[in-house]
Amino acid sequence: MKLLLERIDRLEKRVAELESAGKPAPAVAAAATPSAPSMPGMPGMPAEGDSSGPSFHLAGFSDVNFVASDQKGTHSGFNEGQFVLHMSSALTQKVSFFGELSFTARTDAGTGTPPATGFNVEVERSIIRYDYNDAFKLSFGRYHTPINYWNTAFHHGSWLQTTASRPEMVAFGGSFIPVHFIGALVEGNRHAGGLNLTYNFGLGNGRGDVVSRGGDAGDVNNNRAWLVNAFVKPDKIFGFQLGGSLYRDSVTPSGVPGAREWIESFHIVREKEKPEFIAEFANVRHTPTNGGVVSNSQAWYAQVAYRIAPKFKPYYRYEYIHVPLSDLLLKKVPGLIGSTAGIRYDLSTFSALKFEYRSVKRPGLPRANVGFMQTSFTF
Amino acid sequence: MRRRFLLAFVLLAVPAAAAVEDAIDVAIVVKPEVPVDNLSMADVRKVFMGERQYWNSGMRVTLLVRAPVARERSIVLDKLYEMTEAQYRQYWISKVFRADAATGPKIVYTNDMAVELVKAIPGAVAFVDAKKVPAGLKVLKVDGKLPGEKGYPLR
Repeated sequence: MKLLLERIDRLEKRVAELESAGKPAPAVAAAATPSAPSMPGMPGMPAEGDSSGPSFHLAGFSDVNFVASDQKGTHSGFNEGQFVLHMSSALTQKVSFFGELSFTARTDAGTGTPPATGFNVEVERSIIRYDYNDAFKLSFGRYHTPINYWNTAFHHGSWLQTTASRPEMVAFGGSFIPVHFIGALVEGNRHAGGLNLTYNFGLGNGRGDVVSRGGDAGDVNNNRAWLVNAFVKPDKIFGFQLGGSLYRDSVTPSGVPGAREWIESFHIVREKEKPEFIAEFANVRHTPTNGGVVSNSQAWYAQVAYRIAPKFKPYYRYEYIHVPLSDLLLKKVPGLIGSTAGIRYDLSTFSALKFEYRSVKRPGLPRANVGFMQTSFTF
Repeated sequence: MRRRFLLAFVLLAVPAAAAVEDAIDVAIVVKPEVPVDNLSMADVRKVFMGERQYWNSGMRVTLLVRAPVARERSIVLDKLYEMTEAQYRQYWISKVFRADAATGPKIVYTNDMAVELVKAIPGAVAFVDAKKVPAGLKVLKVDGKLPGEKGYPLR
């Protein structure tokens, strides 16, 4: 037996020699520090004192969908999902850059009259961050607003999320909550007696003229939006996360009266697979600056999934959105009572196939039934 | 006849080898300069899941993780991460994509390679077969216990 184990050790060493002989030299390596390859799909970290340059890394996510619906005026067919490029670069041991670029197929993004179909390019995130330590990290840039779990957990990587579709309260291009935030963020985490408290404090431009957009090219008023977000991940319940956030802004949209905005949100998550559970709630309160009616709009969803076999994970989500008629800022957000059920089949470590059924009821409209098939992957 | 002999050898050798494999303790090793001697299992998990990224403000954690199929990796995935190989890969892709971590773990192919890099990189931490820890490295206690002691959790 000892001989067998020694032979295994010799073979492991031989594999290491052969693999290192076959690999190109790492792009960034300190002269005096031996280097090791990074995990596949992962960027490396420059060594302390290294002056050879940033360690740039590019990864991608995409998906292809087939959609069929019994809703009047819709057509079944394939569509190209988002094509997303994610960049990360450790500039030094303490300074990092993160970027996310999306290409979204649209019917009106091309040229000509009427406009041809094409792709809309968007800088989703562009963040430069300085880490002092785990408790204090300061960053500037364009973020997915950290007042909601889904928005900051999955971003635009469909493959990362269990389901094919996102909850409608965080839909791409949606305006129920401000999806993007341009400004500065202080974040960190503390042990907090085993609760493992993570916090974010942000100051930024808030919503723009169009309420679904952030103020990328500058704020539309002299009021900065601010947010506080905190969640705990207790040591004693591995995989469990509980958190909430507050967001405050003064919104001055075009076409409707401006309003003071308060958003309160809560989430509870189990980031394991047997079962996986995500539930979120958000209340958006608008107080018109001209003294109109105060309105409260609510949205929530609860999603559960269970890994029944190494490759299969069925799931179900119930979601609800209510926007009162008095909320003029969110008048384009349709109310919703919906159920989503499906199954995810992991084709390989980095690709998945999802079959999904959605039943959607909106105020004043007949129930719509929608079927999705999606293949999503990272590359 | 030769094939039968080979089959009999495999049937006898594999379970016996597995029994030996089950018995190994995985040691968490760092350089003596790392300002930590004892971590709870939850703290070790935080380090290897990239949630604790600094030993202190001047020393960043560099994770060194054995390549797939190594016995030490299987133990760590099972006991520490509580993940399958696929879940572990998705976890780190997601972690970097969320901008929670600037980098993922570095891969080491042997215990010797892990040890060599821990000696060379300030703040590096690795898990190695406890029987193969050379002098000059610090073995961290986990829940107050060293490898080989009764109740050591990474076994």
